[in-house]
Amino acid sequence: YNFCGRGLSKYLSWISKIQVNHPAVLRRAEQIQARRTVKKEWQAAWLLKAVTFIDLTTLSGDDTSSNIQRLCYKAKYPIREDLLKALNMHDKGITTAAVCVYPARVCDAVRALKAAGCNIPVASVATGFPAGQTHLKTRLEEIRLAVEDGATEIDVVINRSLVLTGQWEALYDEIRQFRKACGEAHLKTILATGELGSLTNVYKASMIAMMAGSDFIKTSTGKETVNATFPVAIVMLRAIRDFFWKTGNKIGFKPAGGIRSAKDSLAWLSLVKEELGDEWLKPELFRIGASTLLSDIERQIYHHVTGRYAAYHDLPMS
Amino acid sequence: MRTGVIGLILPPTFSFLEMMWRICPALAMGCTVVALVPPTSPTPLLLAQLAGELGSFPGILNVISGPASLGPILASQPAIQKVAFCGALEEGRVLRRSLAGKCVELGLALGMESLLLLTDTADVDSAVEGVVDAAWSDRGPGGLRLLIQESVWDEFMRRLQERMGRLRSGQGLDGAVDMGTRGAAACDLAQRFVHEAQSQGAQVFQAGDVPPKSPFYPPTLVSNLPPASPCAQAEVPWPVVVASPFRTAKEALAVANGTPRGGSASVWSERLGQALELGYGLQMGTVWINAHNLRDPSVPTGGCKESGCSWHGGPDGLYEYLRPSRTPIQVSCLSKNMNYDTFGLAVPSTLPAGPEIGPSPAPPYGLFVGGRFQAPGARSSRPIQDSSGNLHGYVAEGGAKDIRGAVEAAHQAAPGWAGQSPGARAGLLWALAAALERRKSTLASRLERQGVELKAAEAEVELSARRLRAWGARAQAQGHTLQVSGLRGPVLRLREPLGVLAVVCPDEWPLLAFVSLLAPALACGNTVVMVPSAACPLLALEVCQDMATLFPAGLANVVTGDRDHLTRCLALHQDVQALWYFGSAQ
Repeated sequence: YNFCGRGLSKYLSWISKIQVNHPAVLRRAEQIQARRTVKKEWQAAWLLKAVTFIDLTTLSGDDTSSNIQRLCYKAKYPIREDLLKALNMHDKGITTAAVCVYPARVCDAVRALKAAGCNIPVASVATGFPAGQTHLKTRLEEIRLAVEDGATEIDVVINRSLVLTGQWEALYDEIRQFRKACGEAHLKTILATGELGSLTNVYKASMIAMMAGSDFIKTSTGKETVNATFPVAIVMLRAIRDFFWKTGNKIGFKPAGGIRSAKDSLAWLSLVKEELGDEWLKPELFRIGASTLLSDIERQIYHHVTGRYAAYHDLPMS
Repeated sequence: MRTGVIGLILPPTFSFLEMMWRICPALAMGCTVVALVPPTSPTPLLLAQLAGELGSFPGILNVISGPASLGPILASQPAIQKVAFCGALEEGRVLRRSLAGKCVELGLALGMESLLLLTDTADVDSAVEGVVDAAWSDRGPGGLRLLIQESVWDEFMRRLQERMGRLRSGQGLDGAVDMGTRGAAACDLAQRFVHEAQSQGAQVFQAGDVPPKSPFYPPTLVSNLPPASPCAQAEVPWPVVVASPFRTAKEALAVANGTPRGGSASVWSERLGQALELGYGLQMGTVWINAHNLRDPSVPTGGCKESGCSWHGGPDGLYEYLRPSRTPIQVSCLSKNMNYDTFGLAVPSTLPAGPEIGPSPAPPYGLFVGGRFQAPGARSSRPIQDSSGNLHGYVAEGGAKDIRGAVEAAHQAAPGWAGQSPGARAGLLWALAAALERRKSTLASRLERQGVELKAAEAEVELSARRLRAWGARAQAQGHTLQVSGLRGPVLRLREPLGVLAVVCPDEWPLLAFVSLLAPALACGNTVVMVPSAACPLLALEVCQDMATLFPAGLANVVTGDRDHLTRCLALHQDVQALWYFGSAQ
């Protein structure tokens, strides 16, 4: 998907005609949550699948190598061994999809995962996460350094000011530069939808990000006031579907921030299944960025296996 | 003041929501309900049981489960004061006929098809969701007609078909279904429609995760149906969607308004101006913009044209179950031997009894059609006698052709008149009132010849002028309202003029009745075809001489002749929007 010159302007003119009807999208979002509920053993199966989509994340100012180590261990063993044995899933290799940390902690994460004997990728946030308001030169340098340290996935943030001022070509160019800086690493573009202003902007930004070569588009950094919500997700999933119909390329989707309960995660899985289909329900095309979600899923599974509700101290901390 | 007992008749494919929309307002207004439901569904019976358990008022909701033929029997029960009918057109007609003459109100909600108009400036994905809401959820009452602008046809079809593949149908209690079933009857109806459509060359697409056996019918999309085929004219059953393309907004309106059904519709466009224009232009009772089937109990919805004229929801819906507190008790006037086929066919001859004596009367008046006096098609006139038996004058003998001409003239004048501002309308009515006053002496002398005393005659003329002025003043208050309800977005309730009104005046008060019936119709923006009092139409014709100079052509048309015959012609004319009749029981 290399759009150059004429191809780009044709797509840009098409993009400028897009309109998204806000109330209708909100109605659809309410409907999804109400109409697809999963219970009993199917719920347990869906929850285990949801675990394999999680990018276990820690992005705080007080991260040090000790909590990174704990996080990586939890990524390797997300659900308690005896619970998995009870479900007969202990040998299926259930781990989370990746571990997501700040660029300075990538070395620690790589080391901890190697010690645990686990080959899940380390994702690093980059380009002035979370606000992205730094010079382009330093943002590109961040990406290169993270890749050097061993991160195989990079989560970049787009420049929201370009979206809000309608400079779509400039946005496209920037993301293409991020793509080049990533090299072989997997690129996730964070749109920070809470700051984009309207659903129409979200759609347009998604299309530009996909055209510029992202492997994934991600809803938010998790640090905004409004993070991943269903209306925004519906618009982004429709954009992914449109892009697939037009070019044949499948781009992945990652909601992040605000997904805390197991019930929410099931609703997200239903949403992707409804809008895009079963092919997108794979870790290569769908991730959930979360940190406390894993404990809630573990509690739900505990309840399914034993019939009792666990306290938080019953289950290992991440 | 509340109406008393309401009879409710539901069709075989009703949904629970529809039933509640009718029962709840009736009960809320203090009426009791007797509902006739088809025997296949036990839900209303359960509801009645619950209502019975409420204790203090055991009879507020009664449910009879039986075939549709019981409908007219229910309606003709003496204690029922209003019948709310919801269902097919033919049955509605039968019911109307059987209720004629009895003083039972009839509320009709016929046909449950709706329309979705998609322009190229719409958000196509959201419109696809709108189609799902309209056609394949449990909220929509009937099938759907889709009008899609040609430039977005392919895109829309692709997305719609993809979305249909994700619909799940099944039992209601299964937590993950989009739509249920409406019974075996609905399933058969849909099947027949689809077969017929296929045989007429349409393409049928069905998808969705649906249990294969009846009564579950999969969501169906029919396209490429030739517009002239009988299927395209018939009502679309649930859960079928019939899609057709259009090129321009004007064409869309013509196609959309070109059906006799006028239930509900939605317009999808992100451009506000275009959406509103299309919304105004659609002749439908309820129009949604960028949404479909948004119902809220405080917002009235209803239909027009052949979809019946009853309203549900909002204050209008509640007024359905009330009547003004000072209505006189109406005596039912049944005519036992009513033969609809022969009524008013032949015109009794009106040749004068003997040779004419006395001074030669004035030449016969013509019909006042299209702003001027015209000779009648049959080229005959009838004599009018005054109170002492002498010949008062001749008026034209109007017939079916004249009615047709009058209605056409009225239709030509209708858009212009409806488009006039209320101030202009008021001005014209006041000008007519002034003209009446100027003619007072002529009118009074004519009334005297009919046997009315001079004083009473003058009073009548004055009262007529006053009534005209009063209605002129009322023309200013239009009655449009803007409502803010629980739905996202404002609700605009527009009062539009009906179109062409036909009025048949009573024999008494020849001048006053004529003016009192003419004025309200004109004040609200309609054009009229009037049949004046049979005994003395001359007064009406005097007024016409003023109208010829004051009013635009075709605004008011007067046809004289045999009242029964003309009533028959007007009643059978399908382009007359309403008929007011004051006359004999027949």
